[in-house]
Amino acid sequence: MATWLVRRLAASIAIVFAVVTITFFVIHAAPGSPFLPAESQHLTPETLRRLSTEFGLDRSLPEQYLLFLRNVVRGNLGQSFALRRPVADALADAIPNTFTLALAALIIDFALGLALGIYQAVRAGRVGDVVSGNGALLVNSMPVFWLGLVLLLVFGQWLRWAPVGGLSNPVLCPRLDSPACGLDFLWHLTLPALTLGLVGAASTARYQRAAMLEVIRQDFVRTARAKGLRERRVLLVHALRNALLPVITLFGLAFPFLFTGAVLVETVFAWPGMGRLAVNAIFQRDYPVVTGAALLTSAMVVLGNLIADVLYAVADPRIRVRSETA
Amino acid sequence: MNVGNWLALGGAAIVALAAVAALRRRITATASGRRFFRHPTAVPGLFVLAFFVTIAIAAPVVAPYPPYFQIDITNPDLPPSTQFLLGTDPYSRDVWSRLVYGARVSLGIGAVAMLVAATIGTAVGAVAGYFRRWVDTALMRLVDVGLAMPRIFVLLMAVALWEHIALWVLVLLIGLTGWFGTSRLVRAEVLSLRERDFVAAARAAGAGSGRVIFRHVLPNAAGPIIVSAALGIGNMMLLEAGLSFLGLGVPPPAPSWGNMIADGWHKMTVAWWASTFPGLAISLVVMAFNALGDALRDALDPRRAGEEGGEGGGAA
Repeated sequence: MATWLVRRLAASIAIVFAVVTITFFVIHAAPGSPFLPAESQHLTPETLRRLSTEFGLDRSLPEQYLLFLRNVVRGNLGQSFALRRPVADALADAIPNTFTLALAALIIDFALGLALGIYQAVRAGRVGDVVSGNGALLVNSMPVFWLGLVLLLVFGQWLRWAPVGGLSNPVLCPRLDSPACGLDFLWHLTLPALTLGLVGAASTARYQRAAMLEVIRQDFVRTARAKGLRERRVLLVHALRNALLPVITLFGLAFPFLFTGAVLVETVFAWPGMGRLAVNAIFQRDYPVVTGAALLTSAMVVLGNLIADVLYAVADPRIRVRSETA
Repeated sequence: MNVGNWLALGGAAIVALAAVAALRRRITATASGRRFFRHPTAVPGLFVLAFFVTIAIAAPVVAPYPPYFQIDITNPDLPPSTQFLLGTDPYSRDVWSRLVYGARVSLGIGAVAMLVAATIGTAVGAVAGYFRRWVDTALMRLVDVGLAMPRIFVLLMAVALWEHIALWVLVLLIGLTGWFGTSRLVRAEVLSLRERDFVAAARAAGAGSGRVIFRHVLPNAAGPIIVSAALGIGNMMLLEAGLSFLGLGVPPPAPSWGNMIADGWHKMTVAWWASTFPGLAISLVVMAFNALGDALRDALDPRRAGEEGGEGGGAA
């Protein structure tokens, strides 16, 4: 297990390294510069030269790359061109917001998805299963930003149940420093988290239904029933425990979805997270911010997969044995 | 909408129904065809797709206005009515007409991008699975990296940095970043197929690697490839919509469904119809592809073939 873990960890780091390298070169290979068009920004040639030197853009590409790597290893992600502050600081401001959003969405995703999947499997083939199954398929097929827009229109604009965007009320709660403002924050979190969570839950439910159906057919479930256990206990203890294994994989898959989904959902709800930061940086050719965001996102995706693998090995003894002999 | 348009719309629905019926007659001759049509979502899914493809082809007759035509720029955002079936957008263009022409753009992008992705994914998966050793290791590490890439970032970067990107380049990029999953699937399939007796027989008969892969291995791996392609088109369309929504997808004023959502977004509170209907169209079509994918999976999965005596597996 230990050697397997070390090997997996090394592979993960290698993957993140590769993603960052590719991102670095793709951005630098693109035409244009962060300080162009110079005419529109009233930059004199001297200023342009000074800026290039300041940000190290006058050096050769391999030189810039080595410098960048050295800095990353030291935890220094460079200086943002547009924000005029260290990239690490800008990311540190945005990450908690994206994390809160992703976590809330993840909770909705799994709570709703698992419950719905179990319900559908138990009622398989009946009206409730068919209706909710097709509903889940539809939600799963929606563009996530469009669902956000529709929820925003209905609950934010027409019913006025929820705020239409941002982290918190900018007048009453510019800072989150009181319990009331904490509630305000949660209230602002509801719609974006629901948007991401619903789409996720729709796919979780589909997997969970299939997994549960597979398990219900097996002998040990029949044994449990034959023992005279209540149906509730058979389903929720004996069957569910085994049907949860595939869900661990889903947990790993949820990470990329949450982070790419966040890019769009954050834009719709003016949520100041990493996705919005990255999109703005891309528009402004803010290389260091883009590479920093790519580094973090790919690290999250890889980490999610790693966690899923470890959980899987812990939960399923069969896998542990196989990975040790391999 | 005039009488001609309504007639054309009805005609499109009938054509779509007829197409589904004809297809059903053709393929229920096989066991997997029967399994496919026994799936409850197969017929509705096929119908939705056939319908959208028909109106895409017949766009000039089904749509009352050209897609770029601005009806009365001083008077935009008209609500749905008998004249403007789905209302008009903030630029005073008929939403229904744009939706109809948009089917060409959105479905076309999805299909072509998927074709690119499926081709590359199949090729890479087949080569990795068939030759194994260092080729396999190298290709699969590449796939690991590809899957860890935040795809939407990469596409956004590419599009934003290269400015004024041509539509075909965008489609190519969407396809080029979407084959990693398929290649893993194909590799797994090829790994198990290459050990089968009929492959050994083909090799013993003197067939070269290329011939064995294309004539013997891949035809037997067609099922999973088709299923992943059907499910993949939907993803490609969602991705295109996302990029267009951020203003970095299909260059405006081309009427892709993603563009239409983006156009109506900022006036959503005044004119909800401009963004809502194109989103609904995307959801419907993607749902149809997902439903078809599910039905195809049930029909082509050899493990389930036993449920209706025979077929599945076997020689090339």
